[in-house]
Amino acid sequence: MLKLDSVTKRFGKTVAVQQLTLDCAINEFVVIFGPAGAGKSTTLRLIAGIIKPSEGDIYLHGHALTGVPPENRNMSMVFENYALYSHLTVYDNLAFPLRAHKVKSQEIKQRVQDMAEVLQIAPFLQRRPGFLSGGQRQRVALGRALIRDADVYLLDEPISHLDAKLRHRMRGELKAICAKKEATVMHVTHDYREAMALSDRIAVINMGRLMQFGTPDEIFHYPQNEFVASFVGEPPMSFLDVAYIEEGGKAAFQVEGSDIRLTIGDHEKSAIKQRVLPKQFRVGVRAKEITVAYEPDTTHTIPTEVYVIETLGHRNIVTTRIGADQIKVITSPDVKLKVRDTIYLDIQSGRYHLFGDGIAFCHPVRQSQQLAEEIGG
Amino acid sequence: METQRISFGLFFRHFLILIILIVFLFPIYWMITTSFKSSEDILTRPPKFVFEPTLDNYRFAFEEADFTKFIRNTIIVAGLSTILVVTFGSIASYSFARWNPGDGHIMFFILTTRMMPAIAVIMPFFLIFRDLGKTDIGNRFYLGLDQPGALVVAYTVFNLPFAIWLMHSFFQDIPMELEDSARLDGYSRLQVFFRVVLPLAAPGIAVTAIFSLLFAWNEFLFAFVLTRDDARTITVGVSSFQTQQGILWGPLTAAAVVCVVPMLVVALFLQRYMVRGLTFGAVRG
Repeated sequence: MLKLDSVTKRFGKTVAVQQLTLDCAINEFVVIFGPAGAGKSTTLRLIAGIIKPSEGDIYLHGHALTGVPPENRNMSMVFENYALYSHLTVYDNLAFPLRAHKVKSQEIKQRVQDMAEVLQIAPFLQRRPGFLSGGQRQRVALGRALIRDADVYLLDEPISHLDAKLRHRMRGELKAICAKKEATVMHVTHDYREAMALSDRIAVINMGRLMQFGTPDEIFHYPQNEFVASFVGEPPMSFLDVAYIEEGGKAAFQVEGSDIRLTIGDHEKSAIKQRVLPKQFRVGVRAKEITVAYEPDTTHTIPTEVYVIETLGHRNIVTTRIGADQIKVITSPDVKLKVRDTIYLDIQSGRYHLFGDGIAFCHPVRQSQQLAEEIGG
Repeated sequence: METQRISFGLFFRHFLILIILIVFLFPIYWMITTSFKSSEDILTRPPKFVFEPTLDNYRFAFEEADFTKFIRNTIIVAGLSTILVVTFGSIASYSFARWNPGDGHIMFFILTTRMMPAIAVIMPFFLIFRDLGKTDIGNRFYLGLDQPGALVVAYTVFNLPFAIWLMHSFFQDIPMELEDSARLDGYSRLQVFFRVVLPLAAPGIAVTAIFSLLFAWNEFLFAFVLTRDDARTITVGVSSFQTQQGILWGPLTAAAVVCVVPMLVVALFLQRYMVRGLTFGAVRG
């Protein structure tokens, strides 16, 4: 329904968006996710028609939007800095887009009331935006965008400035409203949880380039490159520089700067065989895939030193060091650890991601998949 | 002890304010009282602070010197030129604030037109209007010498650069996102200008209008050179009491009071629009 076809946007010499190709089906919730300065907001503004692409085209319902001014695109947008009409009351702010579309005043009243109820801003309807808190303003901005029926809703960090509790609630509300309206949504965020929780599909972008476009499951479990892998997940994935070695006919990964070996199983072997050997291998592993022992045993063979302990209540996140690399693992809060204690890790074959020159070679075996293989074998 | 010291400081501050007020307001006080004095009371020495008020001076100004006409002329000229200045100024200034045509060079060029003193351009103006008055268009729009149109044009030309610069920052302060947002809400560029930009720039426009009105109201040189009788304005009227027989202090001060009061009223009325920060709360931060 909405399609970006290799869109590029340059501001002078800086390239904000580069060869971006995206699409969004009807009623789909697409999240554009990336770090600050990645070109997320620029992408939304391109879609809205506020700025024009330097190259490439944007299509809505199969028609190119070139030359169509923003007011004729039937899109609705939440701006990151709210962009509230400060000379109007909250009521008039919410009614503003409806009035442009000649909605009857009785219906305007009803819709504003309903929206205010949902967003819990009903008590402030007669106030001006200047007399609202940041969170309240953001809700007004969200309400103004969602109040009318648009083809596409463009949401630029619409709930990012709320406090944690309210954000959590608004996340749920937002998903519910959009589902109820059967809205087509392009949502920009830098919050990975928000991206995962809201989206049907996530477009991860960095430096104006699309890194990966897929369902939350694909993004999390099958990151196509190191950037996506490192940017998605909490705690972030840990990486180890490794060298591919073969000793006595057995292949293994040697962790650079130490003589620690990681085992290579059939799973990784077949992935490596299919491609040209890269210059540099890196192993990426999520904290939940690593098991920890406090004494060395047959599987827990990697000694590491505890560097930082973060307590989260239900679990602790422990950062350990292997040479120059840091590995994050999850431990039970019942185990008392101290900084500089030595613990032993097990990073098994089939539990880590393998990247060659930044590109994914293979991913961990899914638990369900593993089970199927065990049963099958 | 502490409270005493504060109250002394407070007393001293108020005392200082009082002195300053007396220094600044005394001429105005003297002007107003003089306008109500009879001609004998005006020139007595020592000056009289208690006297029997009379309206003779006002009667003289309005009946003998035709001040009604001068006031009417001034209202027409100042009002029209202010309307023109605000209309053209806001459009020009908005476009400079948003698109900056000429990369600042045109903007600077506009400022340079204010760098010459009025006296330097008064002769060209005189010649232009003298010749314009002989043409059809000049006649239709009263652009000849001693006609109000000429003054309106002169004041507009002289005030526009100033107005553009003054309003520029007000328009710049309006976040661009507000306009983008309004357009996405379904309003055309022109509707956005009238429904979002102008209301938000209202304080700036009010300030500009006041300055432009004050300038046109108080302007003397152009009015003195370009008018003789029919289009004569109030400031020239006041100066006409400086006659060869001497200065008619009574009618002069009466005329001056009439000249000052309307501007005071307008300034007080527009003051509430002059508060800064209408855009307060529009964007984060």
